[in-house]
Amino acid sequence: MAHMTNPLATPDQLFQRRSLGALPMELQDIIFFSTQCLTQAAGLLLQLPQSVTAQANVLLARYWLVESMMAHEFSDVSAATLYLVAKLSSHPVSPRDVAYIYTYLLSSSSAFFHDPSSRPPPPPPPPFGSESTTTATASSFSSDKSNTPYLSPSGYQAFHARLLRLEGLVLAALGFDTHVALPHPLAVTYLQALDFFSFRRDGSKEAGRRALAARAVAYLNAALLSPQALYLTHQPPALAVAAMYSAARDVGAKMPECEWWEVFDVDREELGFLVVGMRSVEGWGRKMRKDMKEAMRGRERGMLTRKDVEGELRRRGLVAGDEVGNGSKMAVVDAAEEEAARRLDEKMAEMASAA
Amino acid sequence: MASKPKSRWADDEADAALEAQRKKEKEEKKRLKAEKARKLEAERKAREAAAASTSQQAGDDPDRGPPAKRRRLSPERDNHDGDDHGDDDHRDDDNEAPRAHAPSSETTAADPSNLLRFEGGTFGRSRSVENYDKLNDIEEGTYGWVSRAKDVATGQVVALKRLKMDPKDRSGVPVTGLREIQILKDCNHGNVVKLLEVVVGDDASKVDSIFLVLEFLEHDLKSILEDMPSPFLASEVKTLLRQLASGLAYLHDHFILHRDLKTSNLLLNNRGRLKIADFGMARYVSDPPPANLTPLVVTLWYRAPELLLGETRYGAAVDMWSVGCVFGELLTREPLLQGRNEVDQLARVFELCGTPSDDAWPGFRRLPHARGLKLPRGPPRRRSAPRSPSSPPPARPCSARSSPSTRPAAPPPARCSSTTTFARTRGPSPRPCSRPSRARPARSGGDGGRPPRRRRAARR
Ligand SMILES: Nc1ncnc2c1ncn2[C@@H]1O[C@H](COP(=O)(O)OP(=O)(O)OP(=O)(O)O)[C@@H](O)[C@H]1O
Ligand SMILES: [Mg+2]
Repeated sequence: MAHMTNPLATPDQLFQRRSLGALPMELQDIIFFSTQCLTQAAGLLLQLPQSVTAQANVLLARYWLVESMMAHEFSDVSAATLYLVAKLSSHPVSPRDVAYIYTYLLSSSSAFFHDPSSRPPPPPPPPFGSESTTTATASSFSSDKSNTPYLSPSGYQAFHARLLRLEGLVLAALGFDTHVALPHPLAVTYLQALDFFSFRRDGSKEAGRRALAARAVAYLNAALLSPQALYLTHQPPALAVAAMYSAARDVGAKMPECEWWEVFDVDREELGFLVVGMRSVEGWGRKMRKDMKEAMRGRERGMLTRKDVEGELRRRGLVAGDEVGNGSKMAVVDAAEEEAARRLDEKMAEMASAA
Repeated sequence: MASKPKSRWADDEADAALEAQRKKEKEEKKRLKAEKARKLEAERKAREAAAASTSQQAGDDPDRGPPAKRRRLSPERDNHDGDDHGDDDHRDDDNEAPRAHAPSSETTAADPSNLLRFEGGTFGRSRSVENYDKLNDIEEGTYGWVSRAKDVATGQVVALKRLKMDPKDRSGVPVTGLREIQILKDCNHGNVVKLLEVVVGDDASKVDSIFLVLEFLEHDLKSILEDMPSPFLASEVKTLLRQLASGLAYLHDHFILHRDLKTSNLLLNNRGRLKIADFGMARYVSDPPPANLTPLVVTLWYRAPELLLGETRYGAAVDMWSVGCVFGELLTREPLLQGRNEVDQLARVFELCGTPSDDAWPGFRRLPHARGLKLPRGPPRRRSAPRSPSSPPPARPCSARSSPSTRPAAPPPARCSSTTTFARTRGPSPRPCSRPSRARPARSGGDGGRPPRRRRAARR
């Protein structure tokens, strides 16, 4: 059953993320989103199958429920998780290739630098399980070959040391559990198993089915980038079914009247929740792009760094420790949230000592 | 062997003291268990309260994380971990049973349609090795050091296997170690050694030592065979082999190839329970197996002929060959096929099994190393098959059939409980028990015909 199950976040872990002392949620969201995008871009350039990159996205999301986001540079965490997952797959990559690709992506000559967030949700990847990579998409990143960045020997040494150190720290933070089961192959298999999708738009059933599968997989990939972190709270069969449902709605496939999701052991409530979550990703992505531009005031472009976030915190007066807020509405919400969290902490401490 | 001077780690006194303490510890364990249960209950209450309030909080933001109240996100692992430690007597081929359970009544109540719940556990930080007290070293292998240790908090005795990390290795944590950990984590069977947790060195800023915490078993088959004054009875061989086959069938059912079965990797506790250990060479394979596996696996004396011939598309049959070799060794207390090198090993295989014919093993001549091979013509010069002195001999183990396709598979998990069978047939326990537990001399590296292992190369 391991191929259908993942370790999930505990309520405690989810709660910690929103608790006292944590970064404001909307900053966490931006960090999460842009780092996951970076991982995706690096996976493309390293010619890794999407199944490998997707696992790296999930490991990274888990890691950030255990370790503070600000503990290490975001791009380093992205590189370490991708390197680790690739090592365990049948597509290992060398530290040198990883160093080179990340240096490139973070340099001013990459398309990612100029518009790190313009692409999500990413183009539907090749059919799952096929080992081919989308070189066509990859080339769009490396258009400007003449301007590739130079990585000095000492720069490489430093990157290499950070990469291996973080690999160990990520492993320790996850208790050395690197298992990730992806919903993508399940969605494809389930769609094949069900012959009940007949299409209104055009007569070609086969083309319709392919469109449907591609759409479902796109939902699953988009959900990887979203800080809702649905992969940490729901098992692959539920994610697969929700993506199928959403995709069927989009392409106008006719679904049976019965509660077909129960065949895959998903109940209506969970399905409903996931469908809402997955469908919100797109609108949310637009908002994210806007937020990201704001968060990077002072530095026009490129990957978000810890420095950017520290700067933003300082602007909001959240680091200096003086009174919260510079009149921004978010800060007020944060303060209220923190107050609630503090009360909850006290209550829990009380209960624990009473028991 | 017992006449040898005090061994490097002989620890008889500590063992005796431990024995004397056992009662005390058992009581202590009981107490701790009760306390743990109490704590868990308190924790659960607190968590429910937290979940309830989070879901209120999350109520005004439907796009963000799921309301935690909706369902229990994590099974409380500890619930079935608690009774899982060591007491093999009443736990047998405990396959997946605990995992499929609905975690609690509160979820089942909300679940009218009887849907299957998928439980994958949780994730969280590794603890420090400082939670264990080292008792003595057991063995130094190729990939690690193994020592006996005690959990400071619970008193449980465990085996700590330290992954060898080469600081000069530019690729970081060895992939073999990571695979070993992942596979052991995924396994749950009475004849496969249990991984309790993975702990790390105390330095929080870097991870330079990694330890697998394994359930402790008193012996391995190799040392037992070396120390035994007389060979196993046929009934003993049978119960050992049954357990080995049952564990191996579980692995193969879960798409795991072990690729290093040999007597030193088969552990045995004082109650006669056999467990497969050392997954340093193991990996998941697809079905049918991929075509690019490395043939450089399995210790030479236990290596199947197709591997010796350089086959890269092989499957469960390579493990079954090793089982045949172990079988022979159990009967005679001597490794069955002690080749000096790969060519010699192959010659010995053909001497025992006969030179394969194209009918019996179609296509074997096309294997990479078969071309330069001078095969003896004519009927096989069979040397006598291994036999148990105490009973009518089985014929040449049928798992030692040179053609991989006619080699039998590991049987489906034995239905009847292996411990009851064991009790009935009076297994090897009296002998092992008569020796002080783990009081065998450390070996001087004489592991025999170890293959040239590719170390960090991405093994396929
Ligand atoms: N759980 C355990 N309980 C008791 N002893 C153990 C345990 N695990 C391993 N050992 C002992 O340590 C020895 C080496 O362990 P293991 O085979 O796992 O390590 P290794 O480094 O991979 O060895 P090798 O490379 O020599 O096969 C075993 O032969 C056995 O004697
Ligand atoms: Mg070993």
